[in-house]
Amino acid sequence: MDARKRDRIATIVFWGIGLVTLGILAFIIIEIFGRGLITALSPSFFSGKPEAKQVGGGIGPMIVSSLYLAALSMLIALPVSIGAAIHMAEYAREGRFNNFIRFCLDSLATLPSIVFGIFGLTLFVITFRWSYCLLAGAFTLALLNLPILLRGAEESIKLVPQTYREASMSLGASRWTTIKRVVLPSAMPGIITGTVLPVGRIMGESAVVIFTTGLFIRTIPLSPFDPAAPLAGYIWYAQTEATVLDYRKIVNGGAAILLILVFLINFAARRFARFYAKRKQLEVKF
Amino acid sequence: MARERYIKLLLVACASLSFLAILLIFIFIFKESMPAITKAGFGNLFLSTQWNPDQGHYGMLAFLNGTILTTLGGLIIGAPLGIGTAIFLDQMAPKKMGTLIRRGVELLAGIPSVVIGWFGLTILVPFVARLTNSSGYGIAAASIVLAVMVLPTITALTTETLRSLPPELREASLAMGATRWQSIRSVLLPAAREGILVAVILGMGRAMGETMAVQMVIGNSRQLTFSLTKGTGTLTSRMVTDMGEATGVFRSALFAQALVLLVLAMLLIIVIRVVTRKRKA
Amino acid sequence: MNGNGHKMQVKNLSMYYEDFKALEDISLDFPSRRITALIGPSGCGKSTLVRCLNRMNDLIEGSRTEGEITLDGQNINGPGYDVISLRRRVGMVFQRPNPFPKSIYENVAYGPRLAGTKDKEKLDFIVEDSLKKAALWDEVKKILRESGQKLSGGQQQRLCIARVMAVKPEVILFDEPCSAIDPISTQKIEDLMAELKKNYTMVIVTHNMQQAARVSDYTAFMLVQEQGEPGRIIEFDDTNTIFTNPSDKRTENYITGRFG
Repeated sequence: MDARKRDRIATIVFWGIGLVTLGILAFIIIEIFGRGLITALSPSFFSGKPEAKQVGGGIGPMIVSSLYLAALSMLIALPVSIGAAIHMAEYAREGRFNNFIRFCLDSLATLPSIVFGIFGLTLFVITFRWSYCLLAGAFTLALLNLPILLRGAEESIKLVPQTYREASMSLGASRWTTIKRVVLPSAMPGIITGTVLPVGRIMGESAVVIFTTGLFIRTIPLSPFDPAAPLAGYIWYAQTEATVLDYRKIVNGGAAILLILVFLINFAARRFARFYAKRKQLEVKF
Repeated sequence: MARERYIKLLLVACASLSFLAILLIFIFIFKESMPAITKAGFGNLFLSTQWNPDQGHYGMLAFLNGTILTTLGGLIIGAPLGIGTAIFLDQMAPKKMGTLIRRGVELLAGIPSVVIGWFGLTILVPFVARLTNSSGYGIAAASIVLAVMVLPTITALTTETLRSLPPELREASLAMGATRWQSIRSVLLPAAREGILVAVILGMGRAMGETMAVQMVIGNSRQLTFSLTKGTGTLTSRMVTDMGEATGVFRSALFAQALVLLVLAMLLIIVIRVVTRKRKA
Repeated sequence: MNGNGHKMQVKNLSMYYEDFKALEDISLDFPSRRITALIGPSGCGKSTLVRCLNRMNDLIEGSRTEGEITLDGQNINGPGYDVISLRRRVGMVFQRPNPFPKSIYENVAYGPRLAGTKDKEKLDFIVEDSLKKAALWDEVKKILRESGQKLSGGQQQRLCIARVMAVKPEVILFDEPCSAIDPISTQKIEDLMAELKKNYTMVIVTHNMQQAARVSDYTAFMLVQEQGEPGRIIEFDDTNTIFTNPSDKRTENYITGRFG
């Protein structure tokens, strides 16, 4: 078989693969929306309260819980991971200690989420005596996301060309000033887009919240110390315990809403990163 | 400058905090699994296929087997798809379609595992059941589910690798009159080999640790099986199913399973380090 | 405040990267308000030497120096010497133009902001003044808010020069400033340097001999004897002498293009 023929076959194969992937994605999304979109968009569902025994329950508090949880967790995780990333990328560089941390982080990244869940239960809920609450979940999820966030931040910082640092220091800036005014702003868009995946994970994590924030909480959480039932956990609960007759409807609707939320967050983060980058260049005041 | 030093300290604190957190989890897992190892015994835990906590049998081999087989299954389906998609995107996808697929893959990555599990339960399992005249639960269904979850990771990492290759590589090959496939096969892929390997291994890690989605379609039985369509269990699915009610040695045995997963994860990372270090030499 | 007419002096400087000796026993004077060129084949240590003058080599781990470098008579390698203020007094223009990913305005304003200047009017004035000094004002005065990286290579380099100007240095170091730029921009920058000479002491590293001959007042020729050897000054004299009547045979060989 001559080379041209092989090339043609290869092209067909790769096109096939591309289409299959697209197909899988489309199929999943269409199925989820097909079964759940109508439910998801009905106000009584996405803003209503859940029912324990009857049909017709909504998931309003769950959505709020999920968003609240995500915000809280990121508030905890981002500063720490960015700070650690700056330290590892700018100050400490290649050291055996650093390498060891990275090794541990990478290993941690593959640990099943349920282990984090139990850890959170043991440490925050029981030992710290916080009992089931958003904060326990937030801290546990922050831990879960630490590897990804730290790695992402470190990569973004490392991507900033060395020559900017040199230019800044040659103008008489200190190391930290250089980081603050040149390196970080430059790395920010990358760091921001790097938060998309972790936030998505938080929204979708059920194994952790089951053990830390609470299971069937019907109220909207107000303080971080309130218990809550984020959407992903509730979906799992609804379909495992199946205490109401329309549990299928609830799960389908819940899945659809989760999907929409993740899409929106994805979109928003991307937009924000782009906006931030543009702003930097037209910067009038720093 | 005092301020400079203060900030440096703050940053070290952040790094130390991260390290502390990691250490805590490691210690936690070790500590919790100790009772099982000491009381139930090494053989009972790691070498037996009998899982009968009520009678003191905590053999996890059946689940280890499940984890390994489902992971392999997921990779066999997911890796070629992922790598192929990455190559497709890099080499021949028209711009709009490429963006569509890229965004789509990112979205796929963001779909919560409960949802994929739910999807597996309501659509995949009946499908497999009809196809093979069985319950539908089992390694086959779990492998497909894992493949879907692993696909975005492998695609994203492979894409990154391909993008980091110098463009001159491709140009040099094409300039000599090679076809696109020849360039891919003889120049691009060998150059990207290491990055692709890392992508696959990380995908493997992801598959091993996947909890909820697998639990919903694996069947949650205790039997060791090599059949694709008989219900069985994985280390993670067992943990999810039993952790709620387990106490004492039983609970500790579940942590021993977590320990095994942790060790496997560390092994994978070491493999990656070895592979990438060789290239640097 | 005395260098007997020399803004900066290097006395018996040796420089090491870990165990590797990069420069050996360099002694050199940089006269005030003159341009001194450093020439020599690739790898002879010219860039290394120039980076010692503003202690940019400090950024490289494992680097250390022996010997003295004085600015206005004071040893900049001395203990407790304020490196930050050194770098404001001795500015640098790099080989590849490296404007920050910020607006043109913010690029130039970066230095003054560091020094604490916040007043908008003051900053506006400094930015305009610096851009004029770098012969770039007319070309960018209407697009100050646009990204500095959108400019052409030659313009970017002039932007970098303006950026340095804004901190009001006394010495400007040019590390092969035109090697990555087109000939027309190179010409502009060379003209610029001739203008700047009136007020600044300048050192230029270049592998382009014609440029050195055109632009500089004094020239130092550096060489590495063999692979692995440190760089040394072979000859230092006013430019005219170096190019028409060099004392050292090796200088002559380099000038006439027999190697390098």
